[in-house]
Amino acid sequence: MGGSGSRLSKELLVEYQDLTFLTKQEILLAHRWFCELLPQEHRSVEESLQARVSLEQILSLPELKRLIALHRAAVKIAMQSAWPSACNTANPFKERICRVFSTSPTRDSLSFEDFLDLLSVFSDTATPDIKSHYAFRIFDFDDDGTLNREDLSQLVNCLTGEGEDTRLSASEMKQLIDNILEESDIDRDGTINLSEFQHVISRSPDFASSFKIVL
Amino acid sequence: MLRQWSVQASGEPEPEPAGEELWEQEMERRCSSQEPVRLLPYAMVDKRFIRQLREPEGVKTSCWQQWRHRQQTAGRRLGEAARRLARGCGLWEGALYEIGGLFGTGIQSYFTFLRFLLLLNLLTLLLTTSFVLLPLTWLRPPDRGPALNFTLQCPGGHQPQTGVPKFNNLLWNVLTGRAFNNTYLFYGAYRAGPESSSVYSIRLAYLLSPLACLLLCFCGILRRMVKGLPQKMFLGQDYRSPLSAKVFSSWDFCIQGQEAATIKKHEISNEFKVELEEGRHLLMVQHQTRAQRACHLLTYLRVNILIGLLVVGAISAIFWATKYSQDNKEESLFLLLQYLPPGVIALVNFLGPLLFVFLVQLENYPPNTEVNLTLIWCVVLKLASLGMFSFSLGQTLLCFGRNKTSCESYGYNACDYQCWENSVGEELYKLSIFNFLLTVAFTFLVSLPRRLLVERFSGRFWAWLDREEFLLPKNVLDIVEGQTVTWMGLFYCPLLPLLNSIFVFLTFYIKKYTLLRNSRASPRPFRASSSIFFFQLVLILGLLLAAVPLGYVVSSLVLTVCVSQSQASARAIRGLRKQLVWQVQEKWHLVDDLSRLMSEPGSGDSLGPASPHSRGSRPRSFCPGFPCPGSPGPRASRPEPSLEDPNGLRGVRVPARSCRFPSGSEL
Repeated sequence: MGGSGSRLSKELLVEYQDLTFLTKQEILLAHRWFCELLPQEHRSVEESLQARVSLEQILSLPELKRLIALHRAAVKIAMQSAWPSACNTANPFKERICRVFSTSPTRDSLSFEDFLDLLSVFSDTATPDIKSHYAFRIFDFDDDGTLNREDLSQLVNCLTGEGEDTRLSASEMKQLIDNILEESDIDRDGTINLSEFQHVISRSPDFASSFKIVL
Repeated sequence: MLRQWSVQASGEPEPEPAGEELWEQEMERRCSSQEPVRLLPYAMVDKRFIRQLREPEGVKTSCWQQWRHRQQTAGRRLGEAARRLARGCGLWEGALYEIGGLFGTGIQSYFTFLRFLLLLNLLTLLLTTSFVLLPLTWLRPPDRGPALNFTLQCPGGHQPQTGVPKFNNLLWNVLTGRAFNNTYLFYGAYRAGPESSSVYSIRLAYLLSPLACLLLCFCGILRRMVKGLPQKMFLGQDYRSPLSAKVFSSWDFCIQGQEAATIKKHEISNEFKVELEEGRHLLMVQHQTRAQRACHLLTYLRVNILIGLLVVGAISAIFWATKYSQDNKEESLFLLLQYLPPGVIALVNFLGPLLFVFLVQLENYPPNTEVNLTLIWCVVLKLASLGMFSFSLGQTLLCFGRNKTSCESYGYNACDYQCWENSVGEELYKLSIFNFLLTVAFTFLVSLPRRLLVERFSGRFWAWLDREEFLLPKNVLDIVEGQTVTWMGLFYCPLLPLLNSIFVFLTFYIKKYTLLRNSRASPRPFRASSSIFFFQLVLILGLLLAAVPLGYVVSSLVLTVCVSQSQASARAIRGLRKQLVWQVQEKWHLVDDLSRLMSEPGSGDSLGPASPHSRGSRPRSFCPGFPCPGSPGPRASRPEPSLEDPNGLRGVRVPARSCRFPSGSEL
């Protein structure tokens, strides 16, 4: 971790607070995490703002230390060195999340500001509107602006996993996707667009509490 | 970048010229709107760009805007701090984070529920302390002296208890509550002087504070319950959230760790399969003939009637256990009998759900129906057992629906209990302690050895036995039962919330230990929202159940006050009339005597005062503590009732007196 040189300036903090849903402490914590990924000599403030971290680098981070050991008295230690679960290897949507939030031309690396955007959307105080907007983009696997049958089928496979006993059979998958389209596709075009998606999400009280990362 | 994404946001990929136009329209809309920049679904660079477009560099924000901005930030921070406070001042945040990450938000909601209950109990305690306890110690009323002595015709030669227990072991006394008999834990120690001596009416405060606490808890629970409801639930046609919404919100982004993710995937897969099966079953049911439907209904009825009979049998067992325990209070198997009712309640609530599950699984219901049916009956059993316990206590102590002679004089069984409020308080105290000890015992004497054995040995039996499953509904019902008992005891045992707070605090750590070390996650899915709603619903039912006996006691006391006051004034008028008549009669007698004396000596007549009857129709008490507003007040500290005493006692042996001239102070 860097010394005093890696502290963000006050104006920058205020600007970030204005543009995201994060508080000052959260922004500083995010900056500390981000700097851990950079090589030692590039951890100054200016370089950290310009640097980009590739997806592979993010995914190759050592697995989050297991919090299960009871003798680890302060969970705070674990939190300070934890990488948020969005980019954890356990998350089946990790690639989609990194791809959606990336602003590089090849869409495979995150800058610090992209990272802040990510945390902001997943924070507690973000509006359901913006969460559903980004959820739609994450679930849109082929990036065409709508959720068609392939997108939905890929989504369900991500959710249920690849194990033999958990994946749905072909007929079950078809029945499930038919049900989903019947409930959500209002204009009957065979795909779900953003407004239909947001309409469906608004009827689920779980969404805001599950689409969240706690810092 | 912005262009590409705005095109995506509009939903269709458009050809270039139209795309340009769309993009410009979008930009114009975003720039002119007043919404804060952070609400825009764009990347940081684009948000900065839009902000620059809205407020070019040259324009300085005015003082007014700066002040408003500062106010908004301050308001937002205040809101965040208030939310943090309402959630428990950040108590146990780390532990909740850990549990949520490892087991998902469903099980995390149980622990959040524990924190909520701790807050409720502390709030109740604060209310009681500040409105009753502190004024009591501050005003320091004079001691009323020892309890009233009275003689009473008791059947069977029972003498009223003098309060000296036969077994004087300290541990036994603590476990049964007798060690705390004269402390502020129980009703008996709350004494107050005559009403007129202070502006603050402690009696009224004592009476109203349980009601106020219950009302506050009710509002808090209701608010939390409403937050958990789906927003547009009642506008749509079906009352469940649709499958598509479930699919889109099923992944829990708080999960960390590979194991937890695997468990979650299992859960989600199970849930989808169950939903699909339900859908197929529904389709099948719609195509049933009428005969098949009737048959289906009959089997439904059969199962429910059978379970209903089991529940009735269980609660009658509790009734008899309570009666037996109360009737044989001084037997040699002292402690066992003292804890018989809590033991029977625990046994019933342990065996009941097992039987229900077995019976329900005999019929072939769809999985959701099975789960819901079992859950409903478990809740009914739990609440009914508590209700029956309080009813049977009431029957023993207050003689509901029985005509026992010992109850007639004071409205309660004064032969066996000198202070019935203390007895009720003791019973609830025992129940509370027993529940907690059972939780501890189960963790360390059942779950822990089971885990050790399963880990040590390998074999088909041990693999089948496996670790204990962390059953969410069972744990929730246990904790709600404890809270219901606390609420029931608010009037008789005002410091019971303090005890319950300590228990809830310790239960959190015990359950966390069980979850992390001794259990495996249940494969049955339990959604966070429905679980929060379910917890709060059961809690509210418990609160309403606890409010019934409390309401009965308070209303009977209030009624006694009103009735006795009006009776008092009526009696006063009657007394005055009688006095007048008597004076006239006296004078007439004097005249008579005089005339007789003039003729011959004679003996004077003696008039015995006729004591008016006043039937104690409501339970009053010889508790050393508070006079209940209807009970013998400081005026009646004399052992004999007077003519004008509004709280006259029937059945008490009155030494006959002649020619009693009622003094003015008795009116």
